[in-house]
Amino acid sequence: MTPLFFGLGNRRLFGLYTPARPAANGAARAALLCAPLGQEYLCAHRSMRQLGLQLSSCGYDVLRFDYFGTGDSSGDFLQADLSGWEEDIATAIDELKDTSGARRVVLVGMRLGAALAARVAVKRPRDLQALVLWDPVVAGTEYLHELLSFGSGETPSAAPTRQRAAGIGGGHEVLGFPLNARMEDSLAELDLVALVPSLPERSLIAVTQPTPSYPAVVEAVAKRPESAIVCERLGGLPAWLNDEDTGAGAVPINVLQRITQWLTP
Amino acid sequence: MADALREPKELALLLGPRKSMVGVLTPGAKVAESAASAKPMVVLLNAGIIHRVGPNRLHVALARQLAAREFDVLRFDLSGIGDSAPRDDALQPFESALADIREVLDGMESTRGVQRFILIGLCSGADQALIASERDARVVALGLLDPSIPRTRGYFLRHWGRRMLSPRTWRNVLMGKHAVWRRIAEGGSRSARAREAVAAAPLTLESPAVRAALETAYRQVIERRVKILAVFAGSAGREYRLNYRAQMLDAFPTIDFANCLRIEFFRDVDHTFSGEQDRALLLSTIEDWFGSGAAGSWESSMKETGP
Repeated sequence: MTPLFFGLGNRRLFGLYTPARPAANGAARAALLCAPLGQEYLCAHRSMRQLGLQLSSCGYDVLRFDYFGTGDSSGDFLQADLSGWEEDIATAIDELKDTSGARRVVLVGMRLGAALAARVAVKRPRDLQALVLWDPVVAGTEYLHELLSFGSGETPSAAPTRQRAAGIGGGHEVLGFPLNARMEDSLAELDLVALVPSLPERSLIAVTQPTPSYPAVVEAVAKRPESAIVCERLGGLPAWLNDEDTGAGAVPINVLQRITQWLTP
Repeated sequence: MADALREPKELALLLGPRKSMVGVLTPGAKVAESAASAKPMVVLLNAGIIHRVGPNRLHVALARQLAAREFDVLRFDLSGIGDSAPRDDALQPFESALADIREVLDGMESTRGVQRFILIGLCSGADQALIASERDARVVALGLLDPSIPRTRGYFLRHWGRRMLSPRTWRNVLMGKHAVWRRIAEGGSRSARAREAVAAAPLTLESPAVRAALETAYRQVIERRVKILAVFAGSAGREYRLNYRAQMLDAFPTIDFANCLRIEFFRDVDHTFSGEQDRALLLSTIEDWFGSGAAGSWESSMKETGP
């Protein structure tokens, strides 16, 4: 595993590159993992790491990375926006292709990372070998509602959701992460169902915690019978939620195995 | 974007003799004329099992803030946490953490010539920082964020006082739900099963052996004139076992912390300082500690402990 910074000077992104093990024979295969946001990013870190290790042991060169303003990457969370994060995914795709020698990559995203990965996949179809959406954010308004209901008292060590003053960008503070009004507005526009007609032919939508809007995705996929898009309901705990108040999430092994299996038939 | 342009160019590192620990160095220090005149390196330890960025990215913000004060700051993942591989020996978790810390400091000394360190840790990271500094004279200062402190008489007076003043307690007593009724039904004292449970309980912070180990550690570092900033989060409540500012002093009454210790107690702040404003308060407190003669303190500390 090699930690590195990549990207432009004023938008340096932190990544962890794990080469295929053992070294892959034949055409190089590469997977880019797209993390969720905020507290979900912290909780999901263990699962994303384990998924990366599993994929590398199955012959994938794997790159995990932090979006601008998150994790170890440069910038401040409040300076970030969704379009910038989509550009970060595109930058990471280029970095991974360059490092691994793969002509096309697999994108694997969780939650908001899945929603962003889907948008990038639609824009850069020639770079995509396959797309995996792990409990994707389906409808932005639903996601926002979910975020704002966090910190409502169930977790004693978590800060309550608070309204942020208009003078500092408005919006809300969600479990200690500031979501300004501009970010909330752009999150509210997320709509996975509208993207389904343009998703790559080879896509897996793996869901452990279906939201009310999930059936609309299944319905939209059913309208593309010619495609190889798969919607699967899996058991398993939500990797992105605080497990036992440790600050980290569960690692649902069955989900990791299913994604790895689907990508290595 | 202007802020991003001002950010120091951080370095991604693999640390330890097996290059198995992942870290990020935020450079802040100017090149010193000699190792002895250089500022200490700040090392941030994991908070529990949260990876090196810290809860709500606290460690990233802290690293960049202290780098602006010209300190080199290293954040890294202990073995088996975050992105670091587990150790290949059979050390118990706490000893494993201490071995990791020693190896990382050794590495920074051998590759970068750093001779003095400031350890900062939250929760388990605070406890590891204390014990690591007890064993390592290169540590000249400690930032302990919600470290483990045994409960004291003062703690229990406040704890039970609040309970007695709580309408909920009296409502439960009147409705027959309070534990006192069960105690009375069992003969006015703890049941045999409860007594057995207490006797068989694992070590706690109040166990004599644990208290003695902590006292020894604090005594050792204070004798070395290690500067300590101890920040406590009050609303952590029972779980983290501290409910008043002077509890640390009362818990170790035989230690003369003299002017080496600064205590801050934020009554309404949670254990991981997760609120945006709480985090800002913590960062400004640490900045103030570094700034209020802190640079001079590091130099005087070096003079006091030097040859």
